[in-house]
Amino acid sequence: MNRRTRFAAIARRTAWQALPTMLAIVVLNFFLLKLMPGDAADVLAGEAGSATVETLQALRAKFGLDQPVLHQLGAYLSHLAHGSLGYSPRYDAPVMQLILSRLPNTLLLMGTALSLAIVAGIVLGAVMAHWAGKWPDRVLSVLALLLYSTPGFWIGLLAIVLFSVHLGWLPSGGDITVGASLHGFAYAADVAKHVLLPAVTLATFFVAIYARLTRAAMLEVKRQDFVRTAHAKGLHPLRVTVRHVLRNALMPLTTMVGIHFGTLLGGAAVTETVFSWPGLGRLALDAVMARDFSVLLGVLLLSSLLVIVANVAVDLLQAWLDPRIV
Amino acid sequence: MASDSPELASSGHGSAWRRQLAGALFGARRAQTAPYARASRGVWRALLRNPSALAGIVLLTAFIALALCAPHFFPGDPLDMVAAPFEWPGSDPLYRLGTDSLGRDVAAGIAHGTRVSLLIGASAAGIGLVIGTLVGAIGGFFGGVIDDLLVRVTELFQTVPSFLLVIVIVAIGRPSVTVIALAIGIASWPTVARIVRAEFRTLRSSDFVLAARSQGFSDARIIFGEILPNALPPVIVTASVMVASAILIESSLSFLGMGDPNVVTWGGMIGAGRDSLRTAWYLTAVPGAAIVLAVLALNLLGDGLNDALNPRMRERS
Amino acid sequence: MAGFERRDFLISSGAALASAGLSSLAFAQEAAPKRGGTLNMLINPEPPVLVSIFQTTGPALVASSKVLEGLLAYDFDLKPKAQLATSWNVSPDGLKYTFTLRQNVKWHDGEPFTSADVAFSIDLLKSIHPRGRSTFANVTRVSTPDARTAVIELSKPAPYLLKALSAGESPIVPKHLYANGDPLTNPHNNAPIGTGPFRFKSWTRGASIVYERNPDYWDAGKPYIDSLVFKVIPDAAARSAAFETGALDLGGENPVPLSDLPRLTQLPQLAVETRGYRFLEPLSEIDFNLDHPILKDVRVRQAIAHAINPQIVQKTIAYGYADISPTPITPASPYHDAKLAPYAFDIANAEKLLDVAGYPRKDGGPRFQLTHDFLPYGDMYRRQADYVKSALARVGIDVTVRSQDLPSFLKRVYADRQFDFTSIGVNTLFDPSVGVQRLYWSKNIRPGVPFSNAPHYSNAQVDTLLESASIETDEKKRVALYQQFQQIVYRDLPILNLVAPRMVTLANRRVRNHTVSAQGLEGNLADVWLSA
Repeated sequence: MNRRTRFAAIARRTAWQALPTMLAIVVLNFFLLKLMPGDAADVLAGEAGSATVETLQALRAKFGLDQPVLHQLGAYLSHLAHGSLGYSPRYDAPVMQLILSRLPNTLLLMGTALSLAIVAGIVLGAVMAHWAGKWPDRVLSVLALLLYSTPGFWIGLLAIVLFSVHLGWLPSGGDITVGASLHGFAYAADVAKHVLLPAVTLATFFVAIYARLTRAAMLEVKRQDFVRTAHAKGLHPLRVTVRHVLRNALMPLTTMVGIHFGTLLGGAAVTETVFSWPGLGRLALDAVMARDFSVLLGVLLLSSLLVIVANVAVDLLQAWLDPRIV
Repeated sequence: MASDSPELASSGHGSAWRRQLAGALFGARRAQTAPYARASRGVWRALLRNPSALAGIVLLTAFIALALCAPHFFPGDPLDMVAAPFEWPGSDPLYRLGTDSLGRDVAAGIAHGTRVSLLIGASAAGIGLVIGTLVGAIGGFFGGVIDDLLVRVTELFQTVPSFLLVIVIVAIGRPSVTVIALAIGIASWPTVARIVRAEFRTLRSSDFVLAARSQGFSDARIIFGEILPNALPPVIVTASVMVASAILIESSLSFLGMGDPNVVTWGGMIGAGRDSLRTAWYLTAVPGAAIVLAVLALNLLGDGLNDALNPRMRERS
Repeated sequence: MAGFERRDFLISSGAALASAGLSSLAFAQEAAPKRGGTLNMLINPEPPVLVSIFQTTGPALVASSKVLEGLLAYDFDLKPKAQLATSWNVSPDGLKYTFTLRQNVKWHDGEPFTSADVAFSIDLLKSIHPRGRSTFANVTRVSTPDARTAVIELSKPAPYLLKALSAGESPIVPKHLYANGDPLTNPHNNAPIGTGPFRFKSWTRGASIVYERNPDYWDAGKPYIDSLVFKVIPDAAARSAAFETGALDLGGENPVPLSDLPRLTQLPQLAVETRGYRFLEPLSEIDFNLDHPILKDVRVRQAIAHAINPQIVQKTIAYGYADISPTPITPASPYHDAKLAPYAFDIANAEKLLDVAGYPRKDGGPRFQLTHDFLPYGDMYRRQADYVKSALARVGIDVTVRSQDLPSFLKRVYADRQFDFTSIGVNTLFDPSVGVQRLYWSKNIRPGVPFSNAPHYSNAQVDTLLESASIETDEKKRVALYQQFQQIVYRDLPILNLVAPRMVTLANRRVRNHTVSAQGLEGNLADVWLSA
């Protein structure tokens, strides 16, 4: 089987499985959400500090919340079939628009965090593998484990206090400096300044995993025959490390990154809260609190789509990386 | 923080590299092998010889001891308002670690919180393990349609961001220790299921299973009596990591204000002290340090178990 | 004019002269207002809409009142001042309110503002505003003899009506944009068109709302600043940091944790303001479920009252930013009965009352068990709940605190009524008939409606007092009626009133004139200027 057939097979299998999975997700989550006490009208009334029977009724009628549950599910599914994700009571806007406006922010944050973590993880892992068993390895291992054991919100809060308040180097929250209309490079620089702290906070958790993975994989591969052959051929050690050892160590790493990428929506919710980052994680959290089921279902659907896409991407990437995969 | 239960291993798509991943994660040492019969003693010795694993065990034992002795050293309810608020550690001889914004004793909170945090961690991990093992064992052993269905269900649960699932379940019930443990357990079983399924698929065609079948053992007996004990090593490793991540998830929940208000947990203390982060940062630092140490201990133990159990596993595959 | 109106007029003009004198003194010492600059203001949480015609959450009021205006503005004593109405007149029987409207006012889209807009808006408020239905209940019609005049006609007097016409509470919306279609889904709810000093520019959800200066504002020369940016910052520590770094200049309704205020106010550039919350007047209280078999006994409730020390609630729970208020009408209100002292903190008395009520301690164990819920809005009620648990343990009542999110709480307390007693906060608003009556009136026992009569308290005498006071135009008589009301509910104790939290505005000193009236940050901020 050559590569193209392999790719096609993966794509077909994925599409076949994706549709029923997503449908099941919608139905499952819909009933799960309906189990939660209270609805969006209650939230709006509660936050308003006042309500009357009439205003509550009007709110419920407006959003179809007074219909029986199966009826609401049917309405949602028919909206979905027409390509619409529904309307949000809390934000008074179409759900698709809300999600699309926040999606780039989440992608930026997670993309940056994962990239930082991969680079740092590979470097750390390579160092650890090189000095395996000796004290740099041990110290770095403990450090990695320490980072892995620390709650992210704690690191985030401390980072804000140190870098934003005391040193004043970086902003304390948000994704851009509001009100300053910047363009081009200045805009990019502003966004970069804002994404740095939250991305680093998120990355601390992943770095540990990637470092240990890289270390283990590199140690595993180093002992294999083709590495000895490469050395025997007289190739420069660094070239051996990078081209042969590292490339093969990338396999388990890409699997892990793929899994993490697939979970990127919910995993950043706490970090987004601490840094006021306008992403999908925080949107989902707010939606749960506000009983905004349309938004929540939209985010969950998107998340499942992302997992499927991530799985496919990883499969394809690994097929490319390792010609032995057939 | 990726508050999802950290997935250290995924095996299940049959891809060669995913199996390689499991192998890579579970160590790259071709260390000495230990015969299965002397397994447990060998594991213990391997653990004790490993300095970081030893440190983890010692630390964990200290926490367990603290949890058990808490009512003795800190009698009464740790939620009682006993002194003036915001006393710094060391300023009051009666309350060595200071008091929080309502005048509650921080040291008592840490000690009693150990119980609850460890309890939630252990029970959440336990629930996840039981569900995951059952699902993975049944799917991996029987294969076919049942397996397909169970794999789909597992994937379904995995596509929902687990932290959100926990929050939704807690919102449906109400924030109490039981519900929180249940919610975290439900959100974390897919990891175990995948590992157990992979193990069962490998093991179901091995010799001792064939032998058991030819002796007429029932399916249940084969699953629970023969295969499961051999499939345990990666599960045990995952267990300690699951306890660690359950503690982290619980601390995130409490930080967001969704913990149980009737007990003291470390996460809850950080959440309550969050408003005073700038003036009374010890309220965040002390429980935060407790979390880090406890989770670190569990991770060290997990690492040690991994190293100790690994050679046998690799031997078999 | 009716008696109270004349007195009010004299007092208000006197006050106006005095304050003019004072402010001119202040002006002599201060520099003249500087033009330009951007004001960075906090808005928390993010409002669902930017128009407060059917949404009364604090942030919606703050956002709405800069773009939309009301008929009147108010000074610090809730005395009305001109905004869209330049003069007003109340008939002696209190049934006719005639407003002369300001001329040459244009909507932001260029259309002229007329009395038709006023008539339309008041009708709309009456039908869709959460409080409008009761505030404007007695309104029979709003007539418009000409484009400059609007007359509100009532079937019965409504002595609180003049106080209810602020921009936040009763915004005037453009008829030509709202008359067609459903006002609840009108797109201008998210992109408002008004008559105010600021125009809507953009709303980036989850991040910020940007308003810009209205160059055609009727108060020529104002506003002084160029733009107003609302920033959404959900995390409390991040907000504190934003004030410190200068990313935020202004924030109201306790923008930062109260425990952080002493540290922040030590910074030279920040200052605290507690005025400007008369329209809200929050109150922290404990509501009892009078259908509960144990709590229906008034002696048990009195025992609980004696076991809870309001000074601890004031000093520890509210960090000192509160006034003790044993009655539902807070000390800031002219109707407050100062003769009523809070229930004495007396453990022995509490224990005795419980024994007499028939709940002795059971050999070393508690007398009985109760579940306590708390309003999950902010941190205060959670901490109050923790204190209640601790305090009642002393007298032998075992309290389990129950935590849940806002919709679950509202459903439990107001719809399902599955609660024993709860720590809750209510806004008593600018007049007792608007904010307090709804909590004690037996006709407001409405299942499913938040902030209605949760205890299910029903006292015919109280009902009569409340109903009479709501239409009483003689101020002295009104005070007497409300004082009688307070004495009765103090004795009956369906609700234990604890403290009136004082809300705080935190501002950078470069922001001048942010709080110039009782509306505080819910004013239109036309007078604000930045000194740096």
